[in-house]
Amino acid sequence: MNRRDFLRWTGGSVALVSVGGVGGLLEACGGAPAGSGPSKPVEKDVSKLYALAKQDGSVTWWTAHYEQSAAETMAAAFKKKYPGIEVNLLRQTAQVINTRLNQELKAGGTECDVFCSTDEGHYPPLIKGGYLDQYTPPDLDLIPKDFQNLNPDGYYHLGAIGFNVINFRSDKVTTPPKQWKDLLDAQWSGKITTGHPGFSGYVGQWVTAMLRTYGDQYLKDLAKNKPKINRSVNDTVTDIVAGERQVGSGPDNFSLAKKASGSPIDIVFPTDGAVIVPGPVGILKASKRINAARLFTNFMYSKEYSEALVSTSNYPLRSDVSPATGVPTIDKVKYIRNTVDQLTKDLPDAIAKWRDIMGV
Amino acid sequence: MVQAISRRPDLSFLLWAAAIAVLAFLVLVPLGWLAWTSLQNPDTGSLTLDNYRVAFTKRIYLAPIANSLRMAFSVAVIAVLAGTPLAWLVARTDLPGRALLRPLILAAFVTPSFLGANAWIFLAAPNSGMLNQLWAALFHTEHGPADIYSLNGCIFVIALYSIPYTFSLVTGTLELMSSEMEDAATTLGSGTFRTTWAITLPLAMPAILSGFLLSFLEALELFGPPAFILIPAREQVMTTQLYLFFSQFPPQIEVAAAYAMPLLLVTVGLLLVQRRIIGRRRFTTVSGKGGVRRRMRLGRGRWPLAVVAFIPPLFAVVLPYGALLVVSLQQSWGRGPFAPGNLTLYWYRWAILDNPVTRTAIVHSLEYSAAAASVAVVLATLIAYLVVRALVPLGRVLGFVAMAPFVVPGIVLAIGFLAAYSRPPILLYGTAFILIAAYTTRFLPIAYSNGAAILQGINVDLENAARTLGAGRLHAMWAITLPLLRRGLLSGWLLVFIPALRELSASVFLFTPRTHVITTVMFDFSDAGNYEAVSTMGLLMMVVTFFVVLVAYRFLGRDVTRGAAQA
Repeated sequence: MNRRDFLRWTGGSVALVSVGGVGGLLEACGGAPAGSGPSKPVEKDVSKLYALAKQDGSVTWWTAHYEQSAAETMAAAFKKKYPGIEVNLLRQTAQVINTRLNQELKAGGTECDVFCSTDEGHYPPLIKGGYLDQYTPPDLDLIPKDFQNLNPDGYYHLGAIGFNVINFRSDKVTTPPKQWKDLLDAQWSGKITTGHPGFSGYVGQWVTAMLRTYGDQYLKDLAKNKPKINRSVNDTVTDIVAGERQVGSGPDNFSLAKKASGSPIDIVFPTDGAVIVPGPVGILKASKRINAARLFTNFMYSKEYSEALVSTSNYPLRSDVSPATGVPTIDKVKYIRNTVDQLTKDLPDAIAKWRDIMGV
Repeated sequence: MVQAISRRPDLSFLLWAAAIAVLAFLVLVPLGWLAWTSLQNPDTGSLTLDNYRVAFTKRIYLAPIANSLRMAFSVAVIAVLAGTPLAWLVARTDLPGRALLRPLILAAFVTPSFLGANAWIFLAAPNSGMLNQLWAALFHTEHGPADIYSLNGCIFVIALYSIPYTFSLVTGTLELMSSEMEDAATTLGSGTFRTTWAITLPLAMPAILSGFLLSFLEALELFGPPAFILIPAREQVMTTQLYLFFSQFPPQIEVAAAYAMPLLLVTVGLLLVQRRIIGRRRFTTVSGKGGVRRRMRLGRGRWPLAVVAFIPPLFAVVLPYGALLVVSLQQSWGRGPFAPGNLTLYWYRWAILDNPVTRTAIVHSLEYSAAAASVAVVLATLIAYLVVRALVPLGRVLGFVAMAPFVVPGIVLAIGFLAAYSRPPILLYGTAFILIAAYTTRFLPIAYSNGAAILQGINVDLENAARTLGAGRLHAMWAITLPLLRRGLLSGWLLVFIPALRELSASVFLFTPRTHVITTVMFDFSDAGNYEAVSTMGLLMMVVTFFVVLVAYRFLGRDVTRGAAQA
């Protein structure tokens, strides 16, 4: 279990971040009020890039990072900050957009400018094929150091963070499962909802982690509890809110967004480790709107983007934006992380095993 | 045919050649590529039977085939058992409310079954379904009896929307049948029931059989309802398996092509069987000539029968549209319509005004469907003209090619289009053209059978008269035949436009984010459980569809449904 080796983000701790172009040193401090004095990260002047991006006129953004309305919120925040650039948004599950992207690349070109999957394993083949733009957004250094350098060569960066957690119907379930293994208990027979690793990047991460931690038997026992299998991980939230199922292996963000809007749903960070989903963002090298794509990617390190993340119950990237109330800061979360290698190597097998055991 | 004197050089052959070329491009090339792809090694491109071995030896790929056949057979049986009596009641009896039944069944006919499937998820999901909740509240049980997430649930939904095929075919026959033969039986002492059984039913047999086969084929090739209902139920049919071959990475297009082949063979086989059975027997009694048609009196049974007769439209139209409306009017469906602030027009505003994707998707759907309908009608009319007027050798072959897409499931056609046109020299993937071409191809048979039927009714002497007077063939066609065809062409156009507007199974493979249509947007939203958005989009699509149907009715009367069912 790799934990805390990837992200460390303490409420009161101070990360020193060097700011490349300006050369100064800025403090980026944790979101919690405890603290070492206010700091004010300064965003670089991107007016030149903005002017060029305006000539591009639009950016086509494919994302699996969050569900539809959250994605629309991000697009709206971008358009507000940078008027004159339209965002063409496509939200689909990670495996579906990845297949589509590769199909289009094979067919001679894609409309996609900015590609945001939730399966980091999708990126190495794209790098290998020479499809990704090697680009470091100027404001990348405004997020905590541990968030930077997701890909050391700068072909992709972090665009969002989420977790696979246990979500449940809060008005019907008094003692929700505490760990992933609890979902195997017979009391949840016919009451579980999940997504499908062949579609959802989140679910792929979860299944890969479960197989590594508990072996094939986990899926076999889970199958005995007759889970309802959806395509996207977000559908588990719909199932729970609608009362169709009572517990699920679902996303933190969309569950919390529904909770915030008054639906009877809540989440538990499993004691055997929530499965973290770092959402990478990469720019297509052949993009006809490369400046808009770069501006859009850089926008992900703006305060506005982090605020939009928080308003949709996602974790913020910037440390000067506090997470939504009621969720632990990331350093307090016990989590399991799949490395890129594990995703590249193990996920296809995990999907095959899932199909075999679950029947779909 | 050469006796006409051409004063100008006859350039009409150019038009014919172009029509034949387009036909080849739309039908032969994609299907050819499909067959070729199924034999290719994905890595080396060399010839192999490996794809077939993979597709037909693994247990997880074989189970869907059994499920597909079981589902198609069950759907067809239910559709015929419900559709035939319903047709008889409406066409031949004094059933109360029969005038209302017809538009309701027409409404079921134009409702895409994937929308019905979504609605039935709201109605009959085991725990959250509205009907189940009602049941649980009435009888104080933990949950209701219905489970839409099952193979039977899927069969039920598809059958609901298949009933109109049998219904319209059988009513068509029964309405042309005079009462004389039935009267003869009655005179000879036969009772109402026996007469119907011994006389009416056998006469309607070809229509019933066609209804059975249409329902069977439809159920076999449908993608939407299984995708919505069966994936959660952990069941697979062939079309969802084909989708999985595609959506995984890397997509196994070669295996998918191999897997699609039996689907193609089964549909071709069934169609040949239908031709055989119907072609051999002659039912000249149903001549369409005069004769008296009297309605049978149902007597005391009429009210109970009326109640039963309204069950299919209740399940196919009233309840589903009610459920869609209720869901679309809620901010968040799970909270119930009476939760504070939950009842809203938010999603309509979102779909029509706020969201650029849904807005452009609606525009795209209208544009592509209109373009496909126009191309299909022009092409079908030209081909039908060639065939009916026997202007080219092997005309029958052309007619066969134009009808061939009828047996090609949407998904299979899409695979063929992808294989053929997502690489040079003809790169259509990513453009609107591939969708328009796919719609044109899928619904060409409707336009063709419509066009051929009308052309057969126009005597060639009319054109010959014009040509004797010196007009070229094109001129004669333009000045004489076309005006006579106008009404028929309009009906053909509508008959293509309506199914194209709601096409899902080919669109889902061929769209790109720039060429989103209503159905693909709905499919995307459904994958994350955005049911409020799906319901709203579905209802908006149906508003457009019903508007078009109403216009069609205004101009064409009842021919609309009959043409669609025959095609």
